[in-house]
Amino acid sequence: MNTILDINRLGLLLKRYFVENKKRELTFWGIATVIFVLIHLTSSSDKSGLVEVFLYISGLIFAARTFKIFGYTPGGMHFLLIPATHFEKLVSGIILNTFYYFGMMMITYTIGTVLGTVAGNIFFETSNPIQFAFFHFDPNINIASHAGENLFSKFIAFALIQSVFMVGSLYFKRNAAGQTFLALSVFFIILVIIELLLLKATFGTYHLNGPMMNLSISGDDLFFKTKQIGKIIRYSLIPFFWIVAYFRLIEKQV
Amino acid sequence: MVNVQNVTFSYTRRTELLSNLSLKLEAGRIHGLLGKNGEGKSTLLKLISGLDFPKSGSIDTLGFNPVKRNPTMLQEIFFLPEELPQLTLSIENYEKVYAPFYPSFSTEQFNAYLKEFDIDNKKSMINKLSHGQKKKIFIAFGLATNTKLLLMDEPTNGLDIPSKGQFRRMVASAIDENRCLIISTHQVHDLDSLIDSITVMEKHEIVFNQPIEEITKKLFFRVADRDDKNESVIYGEDTLRGLYQVCENKTGEESKLDIELLFNAILSEKNRIVNLFK
Repeated sequence: MNTILDINRLGLLLKRYFVENKKRELTFWGIATVIFVLIHLTSSSDKSGLVEVFLYISGLIFAARTFKIFGYTPGGMHFLLIPATHFEKLVSGIILNTFYYFGMMMITYTIGTVLGTVAGNIFFETSNPIQFAFFHFDPNINIASHAGENLFSKFIAFALIQSVFMVGSLYFKRNAAGQTFLALSVFFIILVIIELLLLKATFGTYHLNGPMMNLSISGDDLFFKTKQIGKIIRYSLIPFFWIVAYFRLIEKQV
Repeated sequence: MVNVQNVTFSYTRRTELLSNLSLKLEAGRIHGLLGKNGEGKSTLLKLISGLDFPKSGSIDTLGFNPVKRNPTMLQEIFFLPEELPQLTLSIENYEKVYAPFYPSFSTEQFNAYLKEFDIDNKKSMINKLSHGQKKKIFIAFGLATNTKLLLMDEPTNGLDIPSKGQFRRMVASAIDENRCLIISTHQVHDLDSLIDSITVMEKHEIVFNQPIEEITKKLFFRVADRDDKNESVIYGEDTLRGLYQVCENKTGEESKLDIELLFNAILSEKNRIVNLFK
């Protein structure tokens, strides 16, 4: 027997989720489609910012519910005793809160955009073109390759948020979304304080701009390298949080 | 089948719930795990199934370390907790979703057990049923999984009187020489004529662990007259129906085991009874 990852068991875990949450899923994605229709009903202006906010906020709430079952002891016992590996249980959670959620959001966004724009054109006698601003893809201007890259970077940002809030769902029994957000806020506040203290200690000031500083960076190479390092850190943080979640799941007791 | 060796466990740093506990449970038996509230019966079941980890000592469940929660082990364990999970599923969908995880699951048996419990409609939503009805579904499912190890924590809590009888009949018919059932309870009457091994926990330790045949060989249970003085009496309870006594079985005569009386006798005369079985 495969004691690491068995596709059949993984499939059963996913099936379990969909059978148990069928009604909730249908309701949520129905509402999401209606929201996207309403967003695109009145005008064809760029709504990608709004879509992004909806994606990230609803996504993090969804991710924070991944292991919500541990909030209730009998539920946690039931989940841990399902004959599947911790890895399979984690992978099913990642598939659902990252790939499935993002995919469904894109599908509902596409349907909502088409329906909203068409309905808007009919009701308000306009002739707005169907524009998938979120993908940064305008059918009239062929910049599909750019669109792909942009969507990928959005997916990476989304996956990172999901991985953090999934870890939160394993650490916090109640209101995991709120508590994870609070923990992140505290972490960033501490980070900012450390940064300010370092600035004060090094340059004698809390401000990096203005006439007090005279920093000059020569060459584009450094900027490029910094950007690349940032990208690597962002990409590697996702599996890092997945690994943290895995170890948290292994050590989970109810 | 289950081998617990010198296990220590605590939920908090200060108080130990289980200390240096050792226990061996064999297949083909229905083990009754008895003890007062808070003695650690449920915790012991959790440790055996891998839901909690011992602070020290070792546990062997079906040849596995339960801490690893290996799926090969999990598909041979069914745990019926005292408090049931909230599942928004119909009985039909519960079977559809969870039965494939258990390779020996039998739909025919599941249907037969449900029928015996008078549950006809498999389209009923589990979360809409009463606690007793829910418990019946989980008992029926657990027995139908045909797992080697069945752990039941207070299984008769919430069951009505006829259902308790049905439960006893079902369990008795479902257990064979390859399966082991551990029932943790403080409702000892519900296990009458069902269990064939008794384990008693007191002060977070196993103080007694014997098969029924050994108990009835060494102890004699009787109803005596109030003026009957007998030196072999270990423990007695004065009731309206007479003096219920646990005596040393010096003649080798068979008697019907009274679990509640034995349990009270162990708590009251622990050393004397334990020495008798050494």
